[in-house]
Amino acid sequence: MRPSSILFLLQEGYLNIRRNGLMSIAALGTVAVTLTILGASLWSVFRINEIAQQQPQTFNEIDVFMRPELLRDDALDLKERLTAVPHVGVVTFVSKEQAWKDLTSEEKTLTEAMPEDPLPDSYRIETTEARYVSEIAKALRDKAKYPEIEHVTDAGAEVRMMLAFARLIKVIGYGVAAALFIATMFIVYNTIRLTVFARRREIRIMQLVGATSWFIRIPLLIEGLFHGVAGATVATFIVLLGARQVAGFVDQIHSPLIPDVPSQASPFTISLLLIFIGAFVGLAGSHMSIRKYLKQI
Amino acid sequence: MAMIDIKRASVRYQGGVTALDCVDLCVRAGEFVFVVGPTGAGKSTLLKLLYRGEAATEGYVSVAGSDLSTISSADIPLFRRKLGIVFQDYGLLPNKTVWENIAFALRVTGAGRTETRARVHAALEMVGMTHRPDATPSQISGGEQQRVAIARAIVNDPPLLIADEPTGNLDPDTSMGIVQLLNYINERGTTVIVATHDSMIVNMMQKRVVAVVAGKIARDEMRGDYGFERSSGYTGAGD
Repeated sequence: MRPSSILFLLQEGYLNIRRNGLMSIAALGTVAVTLTILGASLWSVFRINEIAQQQPQTFNEIDVFMRPELLRDDALDLKERLTAVPHVGVVTFVSKEQAWKDLTSEEKTLTEAMPEDPLPDSYRIETTEARYVSEIAKALRDKAKYPEIEHVTDAGAEVRMMLAFARLIKVIGYGVAAALFIATMFIVYNTIRLTVFARRREIRIMQLVGATSWFIRIPLLIEGLFHGVAGATVATFIVLLGARQVAGFVDQIHSPLIPDVPSQASPFTISLLLIFIGAFVGLAGSHMSIRKYLKQI
Repeated sequence: MAMIDIKRASVRYQGGVTALDCVDLCVRAGEFVFVVGPTGAGKSTLLKLLYRGEAATEGYVSVAGSDLSTISSADIPLFRRKLGIVFQDYGLLPNKTVWENIAFALRVTGAGRTETRARVHAALEMVGMTHRPDATPSQISGGEQQRVAIARAIVNDPPLLIADEPTGNLDPDTSMGIVQLLNYINERGTTVIVATHDSMIVNMMQKRVVAVVAGKIARDEMRGDYGFERSSGYTGAGD
């Protein structure tokens, strides 16, 4: 294809958009609205996942308390065996003196009422992943295998609930995002089909004067691409602005259930993703509608 | 040399409707042919067959050296560049100017700017429309719009010009001007096929007349009249 032909096609694409101003605004607006909903749901899924992934980290700990009469050396000897348990990460020995010191600094009133240090030596175990907490805690409660251990505490039930919740959020979130993606595709497809339908006379004339099908398609593809990308750009602004407002609101809540998790989903990533989706649905939507219409003539 | 060679061609639709039935037609290069007949007789289908707007369900169709019975979809645009097509409704793009409408036919075939400029100017001169190149179709009369449509049809310098009811929307004087223009194009060497209902023009021009009735060629005269007034008994049977 000659450079002048490429320029002509680009000009035709631009003129199509300009001359069909109202139709272009309608198409662009539709893309912007649907992509805003898609973008907002994607951003929400990212953030909820990030927070849900972060929560279990505070629950991947097990506290193992020694029998009070156990000698310090015997307690220290246990570390090697604890470390050898599968899926155990870091094992930290907490002496009864250290535990008392920590408790005194945290709960001064309570400790003042106590005549002496009632705490035994203990270990704090961090599992490699939160989902192994229950399994490891159960193994350590076996008195025959670990006679040195008096008591084991973990957040088993809470961890299971949190993980189930995180999984549920992930599945629902991605499901909703996938459904919205398909809905966006169909809406854009229909909108662009309307613009192609409005151009049927022009397409017929182009066919009769000997234009190849690609020569007919390219300006319409440019138009679809423009609607997709411009709509996505508008949607990106709305989503980023909304995300900022929501983040500011959540920051003010200060709930222990919503930890301060820095977002990995940067504005650049969200923008790029939405614009890519916009470009894809714009091109694919116009390609499908043109193909269908070219066959009809 | 035959510009159009149709042998036993038929166009049948699903449901048993026959638009053209076993048609034979040979038109030599440089001829001027009127295709006449009552409404629904098959004139437009015959013309569509020529520019491959319809495909023959049976028979052989060759136009401007292209065998349309076997032509591939990808080759149809290239074939159509050898034709000029004019319609009753002009077929102009309403949001383009006169100049742009004519240039459009060249640009879609990949012509460069310099070539386009020269050819569009020549076509405008030929149809007598050099005074309104920047007007849009809505700003000019029906006759002028048809002149622009003819300019677009001939701008590629095609060997064959097909006109389907080119005077259908025009008054008698304007119609005469359009037909004289088509005759001038024919005298310059282009084969011209015109489907029409306009008996006055056909009778005055005394060119070859092909009458289509009920999907068949009912009459083919080298210097004929419109003929339906004196031959109102045409049924198409046995022709």
